[in-house]
Amino acid sequence: MANRLERLLNLTAALLNASHPLTSADIAEQVPGYPDPEDKATFRRAFERDKESLRDMGIPLDLVELPGIDPPEQGYRIKRDAYALRDPGLDPDELAAIHLATAAVRMEGLPGTEAIWKLGGAPTAAADGAALAALPTIPQLVPLFSAVADRAPVGFGYRGEGRTVDPHRLSFSRGRWYLDGYDHDRAAERQFRLDRIEGDVTVGASGSFERPDAPSDRATQPWELGVDPPVTALVRIEGDQAGWALDHLGDVVIVERGDDGSIVVELTVTNRDAFRSFVVGFLEHAEVLAPPELRDELIAWLELVP
Amino acid sequence: MPRISADDRLRRLLALVPWVVAADGPRIEDVCTRFGLTESELIAELDLVWCCGVHPFTPDSLMEVTIEDGRVWIRYADWFDRPLRLTPEEGLALVAAGAALLAVPGADPEGPLARGLRKLADVLGIDAEGAIEVSLGSVSESVLASLREAVSDHHQVEIDYYVYGRDERTRRVVDPYAVFAAEGEWYLTAWCHLAQAERRFRVDRIRSLTMLDRTFEPPATAPTAEVFEPRPNDPRVVLDLAPRARWVAEQYPMVSVQEKGKGRLRVTFVVSETAWLERLLLRLGADATVVSGAAGVGRAAADRVLARYGRTVTAR
Repeated sequence: MANRLERLLNLTAALLNASHPLTSADIAEQVPGYPDPEDKATFRRAFERDKESLRDMGIPLDLVELPGIDPPEQGYRIKRDAYALRDPGLDPDELAAIHLATAAVRMEGLPGTEAIWKLGGAPTAAADGAALAALPTIPQLVPLFSAVADRAPVGFGYRGEGRTVDPHRLSFSRGRWYLDGYDHDRAAERQFRLDRIEGDVTVGASGSFERPDAPSDRATQPWELGVDPPVTALVRIEGDQAGWALDHLGDVVIVERGDDGSIVVELTVTNRDAFRSFVVGFLEHAEVLAPPELRDELIAWLELVP
Repeated sequence: MPRISADDRLRRLLALVPWVVAADGPRIEDVCTRFGLTESELIAELDLVWCCGVHPFTPDSLMEVTIEDGRVWIRYADWFDRPLRLTPEEGLALVAAGAALLAVPGADPEGPLARGLRKLADVLGIDAEGAIEVSLGSVSESVLASLREAVSDHHQVEIDYYVYGRDERTRRVVDPYAVFAAEGEWYLTAWCHLAQAERRFRVDRIRSLTMLDRTFEPPATAPTAEVFEPRPNDPRVVLDLAPRARWVAEQYPMVSVQEKGKGRLRVTFVVSETAWLERLLLRLGADATVVSGAAGVGRAAADRVLARYGRTVTAR
């Protein structure tokens, strides 16, 4: 085991150090530890395995045409500027905070420790606390994150159709991952649920688009995400429910507070179906007070419940 | 030394060597702490570094390791003077974890984590505020802060809890074991003295809480993170869904899903609490019909709500 590690370390040093790409014959000669370089098949097997190891750990190993050689020959190299991490210049407290975050947030299947090592190692022993949050990881997340970072268009299947999308941002909300981006097939901004993407994600050329700024005042409540003409609704919520309702509503206008703890809130509705779903979630502990049309719609809906 | 593959050791060395080079004589115990090694493990790794370099492996083309007075120096390691770049997986893990922790109510948007993430995002070529947004679920900042304090100090708390599934309020004393965000909501796992059993509570339904002086002994094993656990005797409900209501089959755990033609589905699922089913049926309206397991439940709930609107209930 130690021999192979030594060989891998020497191989990496040789490829980083070389002023020109190294042919596999150069490597057999200059990197010790390969089983008998004379035996070409054995050498090739060991070298193939090493190349795979280096690429797996993210080392940018290129195979390039050597200039001025006839017949053409290919050589390997690792470009230093592609290999090295650009120093983010983290202060010790910043590195410690990032380290704590990786310990507190569980993301199944994603590496944590190596990244912290690259940034300078864990400054203190890992906090031995239980995870504070768990984020699901799904196979499409990593290629989509790369594509967002590289501004590369992506292709994937969605609801039985192929889509080509400029990926702008990923978001995690209500327990699910979403991708926001420009859908070339629909010629419009669209949001996709990652768990509904069918099959693999293909990634196109980097730097293909400019990322627009994130919209500043994003509607977050389901009843605000629609195209119905905006209506201002007043809803009374009983005291027992008012606490958690307010947690969910965030910055909401409270137009009245009753002595019994009840509240009347003002909501702007552009999606009437979602508004109705929200209100019936309170069962008989909430009531639409105004406008009459929304009140009547809700009554009509309830009368049709089988 | 625990069995660890050559690949994993290489990953660690490619980060350890540049750090030791840059730190210029760090203390051996600091290196061990940072990279999770015992001293003898570190010495074994350094022995290996010592004989590595480039062709022709003359002394000036090998790395040099010096250990003196509990400190270590690595010299002539020009090839490894910078750590390896982050892989996309690593970048994602760091940025998403950071964004998640910043989404915890009470996190400082200008604190070390936020500043560090902005620097990292810059290196990764993304913009920290926009590329990944995480929201863990709505929760009251003060309730969450008190619960986290109670968990870490092992203090009992009395909670005023709204049982959503039964639509009732209860007061109970609990031993808070863990508080965590999963699947878009915040949860408290605790020993409930009212139920005399371990229970999971939604933090957003804790209306208020009182920290008690009594402390408790935390359990030896951490509680599991399974969110919905049906009980063995929970009834099964069968619904027919119109095409508009097909989302139900994707949203909730189903026992079976059967196509009924023209986009209609027949679904079977387990219902632990009646009020939960009532809400679902009111939300679905005429798009769902109960086939078995809950006859009249939706109609009865609709009538209770209609009574609020001054509608007299007519038997059908």
